[in-house]
This record gives sequence, structure tokens and C-alpha cells, in this order.
Amino acid sequence: MTWLVWRQYRGQAAIASVLLAAAAAVILADGFQIASRWHSILVACAGNTACLQQQAPLVNGVVSDLPYISLLVPAVVGMLWGAPLVAHELEARTSDFAWSQSITRMRWLTVKVGWLLLAAAACGGAIAALTTWWSGPINAMSASAFAPGQFDTQGIVPIGYAVFAMALGITAGTVARRTLPAIAVVLGGFIGLRLVISDFLRQHYMAAVTTYYSVGGSFTAPGQSWVLAQGAVGPAGVVVATGWGDLYPALPASCQTLLPTAGTGKSGSLSAVFSCMRAHGWRGFATYQPSSRYWPFQGIETGIYVLLAAALIGVTFVIVRGRDA
Amino acid sequence: MISFRVEARTGVPPYLQIVQQVRQALRMGVLDVGDQLPTVREVVAAVAVNPNTVLKAYRDLEREGLVEARAGQGTFVRRRPPGPPPGTHSRLGRSLERWVREAREAGLDDESMESLLRITLRAGDAAEAESEEIA
Amino acid sequence: MSTAIETHELSKRYRRVSALTECTVTVPEGRVSALVGPNGAGKTTLLRILAGLASPTGGTAAVLGGAPRQDPAFLAEIGFLAQEIPLYRRFTAEDHIRIGAHMNPRWDASLVRTRLAELRIPLGQRVGTLSGGQRAQVALALTLAKRPRVLLLDEPVAALDPLARRKFLATLTAGVADAGGELTVVLSSHLVTDLERVCDHIILLAGSRVQLSGDIDTLLAEHKVLVGPRKDTAPIERTHKVVQEVATARQSTLLVRLGGPVIDPAYQAEDVTLEELVLAYMGADEASAGKRLTTVGESS
Repeated sequence: MTWLVWRQYRGQAAIASVLLAAAAAVILADGFQIASRWHSILVACAGNTACLQQQAPLVNGVVSDLPYISLLVPAVVGMLWGAPLVAHELEARTSDFAWSQSITRMRWLTVKVGWLLLAAAACGGAIAALTTWWSGPINAMSASAFAPGQFDTQGIVPIGYAVFAMALGITAGTVARRTLPAIAVVLGGFIGLRLVISDFLRQHYMAAVTTYYSVGGSFTAPGQSWVLAQGAVGPAGVVVATGWGDLYPALPASCQTLLPTAGTGKSGSLSAVFSCMRAHGWRGFATYQPSSRYWPFQGIETGIYVLLAAALIGVTFVIVRGRDA
Repeated sequence: MISFRVEARTGVPPYLQIVQQVRQALRMGVLDVGDQLPTVREVVAAVAVNPNTVLKAYRDLEREGLVEARAGQGTFVRRRPPGPPPGTHSRLGRSLERWVREAREAGLDDESMESLLRITLRAGDAAEAESEEIA
Repeated sequence: MSTAIETHELSKRYRRVSALTECTVTVPEGRVSALVGPNGAGKTTLLRILAGLASPTGGTAAVLGGAPRQDPAFLAEIGFLAQEIPLYRRFTAEDHIRIGAHMNPRWDASLVRTRLAELRIPLGQRVGTLSGGQRAQVALALTLAKRPRVLLLDEPVAALDPLARRKFLATLTAGVADAGGELTVVLSSHLVTDLERVCDHIILLAGSRVQLSGDIDTLLAEHKVLVGPRKDTAPIERTHKVVQEVATARQSTLLVRLGGPVIDPAYQAEDVTLEELVLAYMGADEASAGKRLTTVGESS
């Protein structure tokens, strides 16, 4: 059975290898350039953080979009390999041939799905490794370790994405019995889930850290952490995270009068407002995820995607076993 | 070696066609005593009939004593079918010529003559079958 | 003699449509059975249920003593050839032989190679580029290479020209001869002339029900065509079952299933051909009516 899977996919495996090798060549070449530019910047700035942050972006050209291109790899893998796995055999009716041989449907499916999930993980892993290596200098200059386009293109999460997209394709193809609708489901489902998880779920993987500081004082979150919210909190627990427009009504009247008002020509000073706020028990706060949680977060997100993949594959097995061919 | 033809839609069951063709071959000298009949597999591969049909035909021929099956070797011709004594064919042929002349003078065409012959043969078979049933 | 295939009140419903209704048939081992019936009568459904590719919604089916199931030992005994001749189009015949060797415990690769060599079908050519007849031969050879004990063929010759059809049936009957009585075949087809020479058993489906089934020789002996003057058929129907009546103003032709000897001298009894039998029963697909009356010419 493994021989059959190899025979069916050897052409595609060859193409994928060639593409991966080409991508690796481009990424490596560009990565070395970036690394040398980074090295000269480090020498020039000599440890001055302000100097570092003012540098022009390290990347330019097509390869600058590498992180975004690598987001597509799992989707493509799921669409091109996952969707047709079962669906094409049903469409072409070769399932009638395969399921009339002496191996059972379950064994047929296990071997096919097993190898393809492995291949997906390998693709995802290869792209992740290349991107992580290439992004080294860029990571050093970025403001947050969790930035989208950075967190989800490096580390181990791309493996989870690829495995999930493959599982989604396989399951969609099995349910729909046709390849094209399955491809549409992979595209829509994969992108949709990725957006939902990265925009809404990711920040909640672990309870965020909140620190307080003196209103008006300067606060910088510890290096490269992910600031989720920042603002002022009043004595009654009123939280104002966005700009002055929301702050004004929440302040006690005595502080409100101190605010400069546009159009009336009345001047005021921010520092007076701040000391008024301090006097009334207001504090500044920042809620963030520290960068030390990078790997736990990577693990949690990968785990989520892998569990979803497992559930989908379970559905596939149930359907293939029980349904009429 | 004899080759068989099995035709559908003749009203004659396939196995009987094979029996008749063997008998005919023996009469005409295409098959001789001691010749081997084609194996079931050979017949079946050439003519696309059910192997049981061929088996049934060969069994019938064996029952009639025309052929014998030798274990492990095949089916061989044992003797010729009992035929008319010499001279019968030519005698009957001549009386048939006379009948044909008479029929033509009466106005029958070839087709009517053939149809009359067929009906007479069938009626003869039916009468035989009936007498067999009663007996 | 043991039974290769046995169904009892077998039914298959899809939402609102019944593909099979209470079908009960028995096919003894070693038979070549013809599965006939109009399109949509349920032939494909029956074959797929027997092959384990579909499951019944009612009743039971048994193949070689057990229900069709997902089990390597069972699957090794069954050969199934679907109507579309499912093969991997990009693969060659030789590839398929290798696939079969990997996927079956009992596999006679030399059988396939010999057969295809006899038929002069190239082993190294992509199956998708072969003609319909050649593809059917490849598929049949691959199915026979499993050395199954039951062979289920769904309209395998439907799309073939007469010569290809003849060759296919010759390969099939040779396979039956080689198996020495241990191979049972169920073959669905529309062409009665082919079936007459190759099959010795028949299952006739019409309107999702079994209208007729049994050994062909026995069934032909049990039916007669009675030709006689047109008159009331009630006396005849007391003893026999009238399957079909074709009547003109003066004459009627009855196809009857005998319940005893025919004693009415007004009728002339003739043997029935397989095609007449099939056509008559195919018309009888209403559950209640077992007899169809057709009037020809002036009607009274």
C-alpha cells in the first residue's frame, strides 16, 4: 500500500522538492545578505538601542514578502494534496478498484493519510526552519515577539498549520466527494480559522500580565512583549485605554477643567492634569504578554491546530468506514 | 481438429449444437476414431460458451458411446455414429429428387419446400417425444 | 452443492427511492448467473451490496456463507468489476499488476501477463490510452488474478464492440473453466444472446424486485408459449400462471409458467426462448399484476 501511495504521488513529491529547494536557495542567499547588513549596523550603532530602532528596514525586494508567502504554503498543501486524496478517487471511481482489493478501506486510508500528514508536517517544518533562520536579524529589531507575520511564520506553528490544512482538505474532500468544493473549503476554512485564532484567541492563551505605573510617567514594556492594552485606571476601577476623548468624561470635574480645550483658546498643561489624576487615585496600567512566553504560546497554538486536525481525520475515518462507496 | 460454432436464436440449445456438430463431423470424416476432441478450455476460449455446456455435450456423447473420457488425457472418439447402410444415401437422394420435381410441378417454390420439410421434421420429433412421455 | 450467494428479503432504500425491495435469490456455487433488468432496476445496487461497497437497509445478503464485510479474508474471495472499468488511467497494466501484488495475498501475476500477451495488449502503455475493449480485458484479467471464488461484473461489455465483447466473454469463460467449478460469476448485461451462451442461471430484476430467478434450463422447461384462438384464459389460469398474453382479434399467444400438463387441445404448445422469457417478465414490474395483456391489430 505504501508503494501505491508513492507511485501515485512521486510526481508531485518531485515537484514539491524542486520548489522547496529553489525556495531554500533564494531564502538562503537573501538571508546571508541580511545577516551581513545586520552585522554592519550592529557595529555602527554599537549597542545604542535608539540607533538600532531608527535603521531603515533590512529587507527589500520580493523576498521581503517571504513571511506572507510562507503563510500560503499550508493552504496550498491542503488544497493540492489534501482535497483530492479521497475525493479524486471517488470522482474517478478508482475507489471501486482500490476497495475491491484485499486490503480494507481502513488500511488504505490509514496509509494514505499517514504519509500525507507526514509530508505536510515536513513541508511546514522546512518552510518554518528557513523563515526562522532568515528572520533572525529582523526579529532582533522588531517591537514584539508576537507580531503577526512574525509569530506565525517561524517556530513550530507552521507545522501545525500545514497538518491542519491537510486534514481539512482530506476531510472536506471525503464529505463532499468532489475535489473542487473541497478546495474552496480549505481556502475559506483555513484562512478564516487562522484569522479568528490569531486575532481573538491568541492573546488569551495565558492570563496576561498587568503592571501599574504612575500616570504620566513613561513606561516601556519589557523587551519585545506584546502589549495588549495600555491606559489609565481610576479609583473606582474605571478603565480608559484609548485616547483623551474617552478619558475626559471619566475624570472628576476638577481635573476636567485643567484640560486644554480646543477652540476656546484655553490653555492648560498636561502635567497639571496628570498630577490631578494622581491625586484622585488614578494609575497608569499596561497589560501585556511577556516575550518569555513565546515558546509556550507556540506550543499551545500548535497543539490547538494539531488537535483540530486529529478531530477532522477522525471524522474522515468514520465516514469512509460506514458510507456506501 | 474440429472447431465448433454455437449460434444463438436457433432454438437449439448450445449443448445440443455441439453434440450435433460432433456427430456430423464423424459422419463426414472430419473426425476419425481415436482423434482427440478439443478440451473444454479450448472450446470455451474459442467460442465463449459456458464450460458446463461443453461438459454436458461431451457427457451426452459419452453416454451414446461415441466418445470416451480418459482420465488425465482428454476425450477421444470411440466409434462412428450408427449410420445408414451403404447405398441408403444415394437411394434416398434419388427419391428426394423425384419429390422435388413433383413439388415444383405442383407450384411450390424452394422456400415452401423447405418450410414443409421443417414442419414435417418437427411434427416427427413431437410425435416421438409424446410417445416417449407416454412410455 | 453449496451456495455461493444468498439474499433474503434484501432491500435498499435511498431517502425516497427504493433501489431493491425484498429480493430473495440463491446462486449455487459454480454457476454463471445473468443479472438482467431494465436500467434503474437495481442491478448495480445488488452487485455493490454483494461486493461490500454498499450496505443494505433491510434484509440480509450472504456471500460464501458470510455477510459482505471489510475483512481481508473476505475481500480476497470476491472480485468486483464496476461498470466504468475503474483503473488508474495514468498507470500502465504492469503498474496495476504490481499494485495488485501489494494489495492481495493471493495474486497470480503470470495469469495477467499471459492473458494480455495472448490478446496482444501492451503491458507498458498507460491504461487511459488503451481502447475500451482493451481496458475491459485488463480489468477482467486483474480481477481474475485475485483467484476469487465469486466474481461480480457490472455491465462489463456494455460499451464494447461485438468483437471485443466476444473476446471478453471468451476470457471470462476460460477463467471459469480454469477454476474447475469453484468460481461463481454474476454478470449483469442487456444482451440476452450473449447471456444465453455463457450463463446457466438467471436473476431478473424489474421495478426493484426479483421477478424471476433460477437455473436457466429448469426455467425454460417450466415455461411454454401457448398459441391458440382468443378466448377466456380463466381455465388456463386455474392450473398455470399466465405471465404474458398477446392477443389479436382472433388469436392469442400466452406465455405461461406450467403448473402441470397442458390438456386444452385448442392450444399449441411451443418451447419458449430465453429472450421471450426475459422480455415477458421484464414487463411484469407492477407488484400486483403478474400478467400483461397486449392487443395487436383490431381490438374488440
